Amino acid sequence: MNQTPVSCLPNSSKMSKAKRVLEEAKEIQNPEIDLIDRNISTFEELPGLFSMLNITRLTLSHNKIKCKYLNNSTSSYYCCISNNFSAVPPGLANLTNLEILNLANNHLEELPLSLSSMPKLRILNLSFNRLYGLPRGFGAFPILEVLDLTYNNLNEKNLPGNFFMIETLRALYMGDNDFEYIPADIKNLKNLQILVLRENDLIELPKEIGELTRLRELHIQGNRLTILPPEFGNLDMAGHKSVFKLEGNEWVTPIADQLKLGISHLLDYLKSETYRISYTRYQTNKPPIPPPCIDKAKKISRIR
Amino acid sequence: MFRNMFKSQLPQDRSPDIPDLKPLECSVLYKRRAESREHLTEEIGDYDDLSEFSDQTFEVANYQYVCPTPDVVNQTLERKTSIVKVKAEWSNQRLNGAMSFDKMICSRCSEGFEPHEKIVNSNGELWHQQCFVCAQCFRPFKDGVFYEFENRKYCEHDFHVLFAPCCGKCGEFVIGRVIKAMNANWHPECFRCEMCTSELADSGFIRNAGRALCHECNAKVKAVGLGKYVCHKCHGIIDDQPLKFRGEVYHPYHFNCTACGVELDSNAREVRSRPGFAANDMNELYCLRCHDKMGIPICGACRRPIEERVVTALGKHWHVEHFVCAKCEKPFFGHRHYEKKGLAYCETHYHQLFGNLCFVCNQVIAGDVFTALNKAWCVHHFACSICDQKMNQKTKFYECDLKPVCKKCYEKLPTELRRRLRRQHEATPKKYPPPTVA
Repeated sequence: MNQTPVSCLPNSSKMSKAKRVLEEAKEIQNPEIDLIDRNISTFEELPGLFSMLNITRLTLSHNKIKCKYLNNSTSSYYCCISNNFSAVPPGLANLTNLEILNLANNHLEELPLSLSSMPKLRILNLSFNRLYGLPRGFGAFPILEVLDLTYNNLNEKNLPGNFFMIETLRALYMGDNDFEYIPADIKNLKNLQILVLRENDLIELPKEIGELTRLRELHIQGNRLTILPPEFGNLDMAGHKSVFKLEGNEWVTPIADQLKLGISHLLDYLKSETYRISYTRYQTNKPPIPPPCIDKAKKISRIR
Repeated sequence: MFRNMFKSQLPQDRSPDIPDLKPLECSVLYKRRAESREHLTEEIGDYDDLSEFSDQTFEVANYQYVCPTPDVVNQTLERKTSIVKVKAEWSNQRLNGAMSFDKMICSRCSEGFEPHEKIVNSNGELWHQQCFVCAQCFRPFKDGVFYEFENRKYCEHDFHVLFAPCCGKCGEFVIGRVIKAMNANWHPECFRCEMCTSELADSGFIRNAGRALCHECNAKVKAVGLGKYVCHKCHGIIDDQPLKFRGEVYHPYHFNCTACGVELDSNAREVRSRPGFAANDMNELYCLRCHDKMGIPICGACRRPIEERVVTALGKHWHVEHFVCAKCEKPFFGHRHYEKKGLAYCETHYHQLFGNLCFVCNQVIAGDVFTALNKAWCVHHFACSICDQKMNQKTKFYECDLKPVCKKCYEKLPTELRRRLRRQHEATPKKYPPPTVA
């Protein structure tokens, strides 16, 4: 991983440039491949990539890759016919040594099912795509540690059932999505240290987040939240090593007041008997749900 | 049985004819006892009775024990038997005129004597030669030695068979000193403490739960029952803190400080005068004051002196095995440790607790550390979060969700997002304003 990235010499055609990068990497046995901003839209443009089994990092940021081409080096149409939808075609999942896969800023709308079977994948960056959902069984990653889903079109309804079963996850970035609620299953992510839910449409947060004792970074700014479960007071968010961002919500007055005093004041208040009582009152007599604060129609991820 | 027969015969049969008995060798009793014949000695001595003295019986927890005073135990309480060992005189000559011949009668058959008959004279009593025989086997006494019991005379062998007591331990006859104790008879050398096997005949014993114990063992058993130690010197129970010295426990007041001579208390310290040697017979005792003056380092964990390898860290001394990670409590054993707020940590836990794990590889950062955005990176893992291109301390980067984004990538982000990020960045105060007094 500490080897120098392959240089991208300026060349005539983009196709041959990408090819050259791969060939050079093969020649010097470079396990880290960078193909950034090459206008790549299909894996056909990257012949032999799926046979480079030694690679540990593959960065394909700022391209135009669509989901269907992730599965196979051939076009999806051809793949459908030849495989008759039965077997998982050879694709990215072939790269069994891959530890870091970066597909940030592409045109992905769907993901192949086989992705979650990659045995060594630790970091998966799918930020700035057009994902409207995640495939069934997506939560089966054996050792995934960092999952970046920033700026997509995800919400609690299009998440697969086992999404929160990735116990090894230590950072989950889901900012700029469309969540209104977070499933209570999130408590399974025992190792989570970073949780970003910035600028979703969150109306309520589950009390189970209070069980994520390792959490050191929690971003919930820019949502439609009004109250917090008292269990949040258990989180170690007041230390100098912790970050708790919760601006841009329509907090009820007592929370807003404590927030002005500081995070530690807010946490103490959440833990207090006073808040526990007012929280039960809020449960029966809910504060009005604020309107969405961002007009998401302008989001690039919505382009279809 | 023999005796009964003999008794009934004695008055009628005046002539000392010998009944037709089976040879002695056929007797089972004889056979059993004959096996130990070599132990038989001519000396038949005292019978000691170490009967238990139960006046001072008292109960302590589960123990019923009898505490005799030694003089009573050792005292011969009763002389049970009187045994006369006689060497009979054989009178082969006619007795002189002092005793008239026709008045002389045999002590056994009451018949007179023939004029030329051999007469046996023993202690003034006279017998026909054929009447002067063992009351049991009717045979003459070997070498003229007989034993008398209840006015009857027995040869040595039959006397042992009939009257010598059997030892409760070895089952042999007890000849000589007999110890009567614990409802049995014993050889003095067979009656021993059941714990330490020391002889009890002269020291006395204490009955403890059906066992005969010496005073020391009894005290020990008693002390263990009470959860206390017994002083190795005075054998008394140690009620306060014991002092350990050369592997034994003592009352501290039996000792004085090697340096200043003050009487010791339980705070005294045993000092190994030959460090590194396993034997403790050179150890010495010092009072706490003198011990502290000797400059022996004290372990910061267990507060005990360190006599072997000393680890000096965090301004304190430690036993090698007591200098441990504050988190996992495993000793460092010379491995590198990390200090934080007066505590020492192993490499793994220091980084786990204090955050110097690389965000990308999640490993302890060995070399230089990049610290930014509440995270840390190895030098070669500090890269743009979107394009994975390496950055250095001079690279300008933007922040998005506390991830570094290089300038190139930031410019490729959706315009509306950039606008929001900029607005958020401007709105976020560097510090929360101090609380205002209402």
